[in-house]
Amino acid sequence: MTEPTKEAKRWRNLLGMVKRPKPVVGATPADVVHRENKWSLLRYRPRAEGVKYATPVLLVPSLINRHYVLDLQPGRSVAEALVARGHDVFIIDWGTPGPEDRHLSFDAIADGYIGRALRVASQHGTRGKAHVLGYCLGGTLAVVHAAVRPARVASLTVLAAPVSFTDEGLLSTWTRSETFDLGAMLDATGNVPWQLMQGAFQMLRPTLPLAKAAHVLDRAWDDEFLDGFFALEAWGNDNVSFPGAAYRRYIEGLYRADGLMQGTFTLSGRPVLLRNIVCPTLAVTFAHDNIVPEESAAPLMARIGSADKQRVHLPGGHVGAVISRKALATLWPTISAWWAAHDAEPAAAAAPEAEVVAGTKPRAKRAAAKGR
Amino acid sequence: MAAWDGWKKGFDAWEDRTAKRLETALRSPRVLRPGGALLTAAMRSKSAVDGAMAAWWSALGLPTRRDQERAQHALNQLQSRLIDLEEEIAELRAERAKSKD
Repeated sequence: MTEPTKEAKRWRNLLGMVKRPKPVVGATPADVVHRENKWSLLRYRPRAEGVKYATPVLLVPSLINRHYVLDLQPGRSVAEALVARGHDVFIIDWGTPGPEDRHLSFDAIADGYIGRALRVASQHGTRGKAHVLGYCLGGTLAVVHAAVRPARVASLTVLAAPVSFTDEGLLSTWTRSETFDLGAMLDATGNVPWQLMQGAFQMLRPTLPLAKAAHVLDRAWDDEFLDGFFALEAWGNDNVSFPGAAYRRYIEGLYRADGLMQGTFTLSGRPVLLRNIVCPTLAVTFAHDNIVPEESAAPLMARIGSADKQRVHLPGGHVGAVISRKALATLWPTISAWWAAHDAEPAAAAAPEAEVVAGTKPRAKRAAAKGR
Repeated sequence: MAAWDGWKKGFDAWEDRTAKRLETALRSPRVLRPGGALLTAAMRSKSAVDGAMAAWWSALGLPTRRDQERAQHALNQLQSRLIDLEEEIAELRAERAKSKD
């Protein structure tokens, strides 16, 4: 494109920005295969040639963001790319919590809901297991689940998932500060309003709105860039509130007590010990991630018991490095190939059961044996 | 275009510098403490107003918003429990069918 043409395009696009059609997001065809409370499990329709692998893939997005970040736009969708590679892909859509979900516990989400999603997804494969991929807080939930309920987890992939909370980032500092009165906030709001969380994320880079505006001015001639930018903005402004009881546990047990690193965190009464994660594990961290810094995500690798573990450290930020065209061309094919290599049961013995706390009810023990 | 490119480079450098300064400032106890105190005061005020409204409402013998939330949450828990039981029954049936074969 010549310079004058580019300039003309830039100004035409800038002047027509208000009238620009809303971006289409989350358009990969999917069916709801399970619905419970506000969450649902979606199964992306497999490609016409059929599913290539024996093990389905379960994507666990963050609790506070919409799931369609992994299915942003046609041609720029992680889900679409994975389906095209022959995976049977499931994703949890957490939905929008209602006021009554202020009582929804962390255990109900990380044990009950993820367990159910895993059982439903596993039924569609031949191994009775599924590859689990957790992104951001979804990764933390997946780690907690895999440490206690390993039976149906064929492999664990975590993208920018915080497990250590002793970093000096703004969010950690703020939640650990004496003046952050968690009880007062939850009494007043029930669920943590998404506006409050979005405000906190914006404080991580207060100049970001200005930087975005300058970037749009710079690239306004590029229609493809603008479509991607507005799709991402639509997603970024479509957040959900955090269920109150789950948030209390998240802050007290993880941020303040650093429970995963200290081994003090529990799920449904059972200790969450990272060394109990013995399935093949792949962790992806990002060098310019200011939401989940490397020092918060990377320690997982040293603590888990897996013999087959791999860490990939990439340049880029928390969202861009996951959904960019570059990620679709490099990161996701790598993850897909890793899943393909772990599609069959390894020769070694199956994962041991997680430790059971004394006094656990017999029914719970039977359920644990079944991966529940 | 050279002017624009120059401006953009300057802007990027300024933005990076300013963001780092602001991050340091926001992490400082001098900002966090009053910010947290302000938020807590606002939240406590809201709780007090909500509590007074709920007390007045329940004095009329009517269920409060909290009562309704608790009831709805109990229903959601029941739904999950029923799905658990359905799963267990399906597993038991499958086991029984297998043992008959």
